[in-house]
Amino acid sequence: MGVMNNSLPDIGPVRAVDSAIGWGRKSSIWPMTFGIACCAIEMMAVYAATFDLDRFGAGVPRATPRQSDLIIVPGTVNAKMAVRVRRLYDQMAEPRYVIAMGACVCGGGPYVKWGYNTVKGVHKVIPVDIFVPGCPPRPEALMDGILKLREKVSREEVFARRVRTARELDARSI
Amino acid sequence: MDEAALHARLAASGVPGIGALDRSVKDPFVVVEPTSIVPALTWLRDDPACRLEMLHNLTAVERPEAIEVVYHVCSLAHHHALVLKVRCPRPEGGTHETWLPEVPSVAGVHPAANWHEREQWDLLGVRFTGHPDLRRILLPEEWIGHPLRKDYVYPTEHGGIPLELDAVPLYERDPASPPPPSGRVRKAGEPLFQPPAPFSSRPLASGGRTVEPGEAPAGGDGAGAGGGEH
Repeated sequence: MGVMNNSLPDIGPVRAVDSAIGWGRKSSIWPMTFGIACCAIEMMAVYAATFDLDRFGAGVPRATPRQSDLIIVPGTVNAKMAVRVRRLYDQMAEPRYVIAMGACVCGGGPYVKWGYNTVKGVHKVIPVDIFVPGCPPRPEALMDGILKLREKVSREEVFARRVRTARELDARSI
Repeated sequence: MDEAALHARLAASGVPGIGALDRSVKDPFVVVEPTSIVPALTWLRDDPACRLEMLHNLTAVERPEAIEVVYHVCSLAHHHALVLKVRCPRPEGGTHETWLPEVPSVAGVHPAANWHEREQWDLLGVRFTGHPDLRRILLPEEWIGHPLRKDYVYPTEHGGIPLELDAVPLYERDPASPPPPSGRVRKAGEPLFQPPAPFSSRPLASGGRTVEPGEAPAGGDGAGAGGGEH
């Protein structure tokens, strides 16, 4: 389809636009105001002045899932809470990211054997991008998780993927 | 009053079913018949010499032969306290599915008991008769069973939410990656923490400063001369 082929832009400039969008996204990852257990105390310390998550643009906790890009799950997720976590995640708009903070959320932690009520890892309920182990993790560990997430966000393709897909479809139809 | 005096007063009060005081443990306790726990706690609350007006703990213990409900009451006015227990003996072959012991609720005597009794119902399956609102308090409403009973079988899922560990680990360690730092391994018998030497045993340097490890302590006359110059 020659007409279609000519209308498609070059991939190079599209990638440049994507990297600009990625830079904007990674510099304003707004987390959700959300905490479950003791890891939330450590998370609050990361928001506060000493560690200052706002340096990475992630220090604006949003009061509603509809405005937030990131859900940090800090604390033991039990069967009663898992339903709420899933509902909060479903309310978030794409693109959305999940950080599992703490040993309990990464795989059960101390409740792995005798926790009759504990979900052994929040990845069983929602898809997780970054796992931050620790009981609780040091603030530096959570900041490292945020930095890893920034890398992941900045590498994402927005328009380049569409262009590539269109090109593939184009090639197949020829 | 101490526990013995409180118990003597309670035994002489006319409330039936008051057992002897067990002083073999740190907190002496009185075992009370299930039918007389409400009159006993009411009398202890209203008696002007006892005034055990505050129920600061209500819990339950499962033993092989019985389930005990434990009441900790204290008086802020007189600064004394007493522990009462109610024993529900286990019937032959009683499990968490077939045997839910019944104890009269004391929520009418001490309003604080309301949620405590709901918790014991939730986790140990003690039915408190006469409770105004005996629902589960911690677990989901539709949970089956009482998890703190010894013969409780752990569920594998609840309402579609898996409660089991992954059969296969989510991630495998990359064999090419360097091993994690191990740190110094503690030898057997070595204490977990090395307490610092007390200040009094450390020699003093000039100026009253304690000597750091690896630093030579100052001589007696040197310290005196330094102090004199200042």
